[in-house]
Amino acid sequence: MTIWLAILGMALVTLATRALPLLLMRGALPTWLGRWLGFVPVAVFAALALRPLLVSAGPEPRLVAGLPLLAGLAGALAAWHTRSVVATIVVGMLVYWGLRLATG
Amino acid sequence: MANTLTQPATAPPWRGELRAGYLAMLPLWLSAAPFGMIYAVSAVAAGLSPAQTVAMSLLVFAGGAQFIAVGMVAAGAGPLAITVTTLVVNARHLLMSASLAPHLRGVGRWKRLLLAAQLTDESYAVGVARFLEGRGSAAFQIGCNLSLYTIWPLSAVAGVLLGGAIPDPAALGLDLVFPLTFIGLLVPLLREPANRLAALAAALLTVAGALWLPGSWYVLLAGLLGSALGALLARNRGLAGADPTPGGAP
Repeated sequence: MTIWLAILGMALVTLATRALPLLLMRGALPTWLGRWLGFVPVAVFAALALRPLLVSAGPEPRLVAGLPLLAGLAGALAAWHTRSVVATIVVGMLVYWGLRLATG
Repeated sequence: MANTLTQPATAPPWRGELRAGYLAMLPLWLSAAPFGMIYAVSAVAAGLSPAQTVAMSLLVFAGGAQFIAVGMVAAGAGPLAITVTTLVVNARHLLMSASLAPHLRGVGRWKRLLLAAQLTDESYAVGVARFLEGRGSAAFQIGCNLSLYTIWPLSAVAGVLLGGAIPDPAALGLDLVFPLTFIGLLVPLLREPANRLAALAAALLTVAGALWLPGSWYVLLAGLLGSALGALLARNRGLAGADPTPGGAP
């Protein structure tokens, strides 16, 4: 029963974080806010892309520079030239698997 | 929007957008599926029933929070602690939801709720990138959301059924699909100098936040401050940046 309560609580707070801004921010936004929010996707993409490549997971995070970072750089090159997410994934994964085979 | 009520000879455009969004997320199934199964295996191991395991994927639909909740259940935490932790982990959604608002100005309350209810890091990223290209729509975003909302609960069912016979996706490197997706969306935007400033600021804040802040606060920190710095620097230098005005009516 307590697990069902936990699931219900999780569902409600998660829905709130997803829905409240979109439900409350209706109509025209102030110019400064629109300009600010316009840069949010770029900043969020950078955060979500770089965290797993640069900082180790686990209780004691530290800077890392390993095969995932190299695969990410290869993916970035592919993204620059192709503007394609699928090409980015394919190139990045192939480079990652290739390097893993090469380095044993 | 208006012509969805009329009776067109061909399929209405929103249906094509929905479909396009759904299909655009298919590469992400590659990593979402194994992680959804691993979540289910660890949930059952932590003491959740099969029904609870699948219900969490259906009702919460937030990978990071679900993995953390399972760990907390295993450690004997109560519902309140798990709920508060989930709120903290998912606070980053506030920012993503807010940044969609300028693009959805003409969209009604119920459609906004439908769109917001299944927003995830990955579907938000693909949907908002389409808006930045000037081709986005509410239907495309909802299609993106529904795509992950298909595979995530299904993979939980598969995980419950298959049990421990599942290879570790991280061992295969499949966890790399997520950052590669965000790289694929980010890098083409870097042709704009103002976006480069915002991304650079966000990158530095991400590393600092990931090293010194708990959980996923780094997303909120980098997302809020990185974008603010980008907007300020762009204005002072007179650079054109990301255009938040909607390209096409949803």
